[in-house]
Amino acid sequence: MSGTLIDFCKQLEPTALKLPAALLQAARDGVEFQHHFPTTREEPWKYTRLGRVAALKLTPVNINQSAERLPASDTIDIIFEHETWHCAEPTAGLHIDFSGDLDASAWNACTLQGHVQHINALSAQGGVAIRVDANTTLIKPIRIIHRLQGEHTGLILHHQLVLGNHASAQVEVFFEGTSEDSYANVLFDFFIGAGANLHADMLQQTKGTHYGFHTQRIYQQKDSTFALQTLTANTHFTRNEVEVFSQEEGTHTQLYGAFIGRENNHIDNHTYVHHKAPNCTSDENYKGVLADKATGVFNGKVKVYQDAQKINAYQSNKNILLSDSASINAKPELEIYADDVKCSHGSTTGQLDQHALFFLRARGISETKATDMLIKGFMAEIVGAVKSIHIQEALHALLD
Amino acid sequence: MLKITDLHASINGTEILKGLSLEIKAGEIHAIMGPNGAGKSTLASVLAGKEDYEVTSGAITFEDQDLLEMSIEERAREGVFLAFQYPVEIPGVSNVNFLKTAINEIREHKGLPALSAKDFLRLVKEKSALVDLDASLASRAVNEGFSGGEKKRNEIFQMAMLEPKLAVLDETDSGLDIDALRIVASGVNTLKSKENATLVITHYQRLLDHIIPDFVHVLYDGKIVKTGGKELALELEEKGYDWIKSVE
Repeated sequence: MSGTLIDFCKQLEPTALKLPAALLQAARDGVEFQHHFPTTREEPWKYTRLGRVAALKLTPVNINQSAERLPASDTIDIIFEHETWHCAEPTAGLHIDFSGDLDASAWNACTLQGHVQHINALSAQGGVAIRVDANTTLIKPIRIIHRLQGEHTGLILHHQLVLGNHASAQVEVFFEGTSEDSYANVLFDFFIGAGANLHADMLQQTKGTHYGFHTQRIYQQKDSTFALQTLTANTHFTRNEVEVFSQEEGTHTQLYGAFIGRENNHIDNHTYVHHKAPNCTSDENYKGVLADKATGVFNGKVKVYQDAQKINAYQSNKNILLSDSASINAKPELEIYADDVKCSHGSTTGQLDQHALFFLRARGISETKATDMLIKGFMAEIVGAVKSIHIQEALHALLD
Repeated sequence: MLKITDLHASINGTEILKGLSLEIKAGEIHAIMGPNGAGKSTLASVLAGKEDYEVTSGAITFEDQDLLEMSIEERAREGVFLAFQYPVEIPGVSNVNFLKTAINEIREHKGLPALSAKDFLRLVKEKSALVDLDASLASRAVNEGFSGGEKKRNEIFQMAMLEPKLAVLDETDSGLDIDALRIVASGVNTLKSKENATLVITHYQRLLDHIIPDFVHVLYDGKIVKTGGKELALELEEKGYDWIKSVE
């Protein structure tokens, strides 16, 4: 077994964030107790091997604390590129800060779960803290770009986005660039105030032997709406963990995802929706297409707590395997403790519809183009839910 | 245009076509009738190039080229069109988008420039009117949520858009009510010209009230056992397929 978690963290700098002492201690205890990277004997990592991650030799990225200002554009841009971060001038009702500048009290609501979050807590080099004031509707979308580069880089970020009551915003997040033997651990905390509405689209398309760990934690208050579209395209290694805490009545949550893998790509999507309050809905839809020797994981969990009556939770996962060597491990899970709920879940995995392929070819379309059309058609539901024009464009370029 | 000589074809080791021969010239409409299991749909599938079927012997030439050597898409680009008995639903792929791709692949094959968006839309408007297909259906996902009649009309709409030399209609009348049948038939009749040919595969005579064939062939047990004019269809309808079996 390669290095311990403590050794792994030693390669990185101590956190630049002012986390509460108790939280830091919990992270330290966590890595000490866990000691090694989890193996496939541990349920959350059953289908994702971390041996290569544990063996990574990393140099931390030291991010400058004060952002360089970006010119105004059609989006409010925030860019992380190597050791610098840039951001647009904030507009009325919008505050953009370095997350390292936040007081310890800003992290009080945080909890830590698992080694990815422990590493993040101990070694985060910064991140962006965005706050949208109550009753503010942002006209322009916020665009957060992570442009990865270099070899053996370790990028650890902890972002925070707080949406005041009845605020409304759209966010688009990019992971791009080329990076070899590198590690990124990027955590987002989304606090969605009462009656607030956040739509987030995320595109992960980093090239090279890059190991990406992406965590999104969403805390929803009364009558809030949160929608996240996670799109992963041909990344070497991606682990997504989305955890939603529906804490008060009337929330709506939409988690959509699409992943495309080829060669030896490994793409893992874990989601966990906690329905703690009654009269809420959640809609989850993940679709995967894997070619060559690519492997994928879908593990979606919905937990309906005892007092959370009248929940409507829908979960679907569909996958297409384009080769005999591609594989997917899918595990939809429902845990229900309330007695008056509507929940459904299902997962299917198959090949491309041969009748449809024959039909398209019989109309004169080449096999390659017909295959692309069918994949695009399969993904259309997810891609159609993406609001970001930039991501739409990138996807069309990828799928055409 | 199409010449089938002593065609033998099987699926999963079972021989379905057992020495079928047929010649179709430009400008002609041929009808193939026959009882269930005679091999009618197998013939349509073999012509389109469906890979589940294995041609064990015999030859098919199309415009003096070896059809069996061509891939599915090459046949289509050369002008063979199969109207499906069971049109496929393809969620997420829009009817017009797929047709635009098809038309431009065919045009590229013929050395023609791609159709402009304007010309393409004009064509959609013109041809969808021909089969009374609602313009909104043209922009929806391929056959998704279409009624049986709409699916068949959509097949003829595609045929009108692609302007094939040889159209093979595989049981296009199945599941159609009288009105839909009339619309489909009038679409086929309108598209008829001296340069193209139609092969109508059907179980019942009623489609042939609307599409008047030049020749009627009776397919039985993988072979054409009788050929005649349009009156043969009426005779079959009257006497039933047992009559053919007794002739055999």
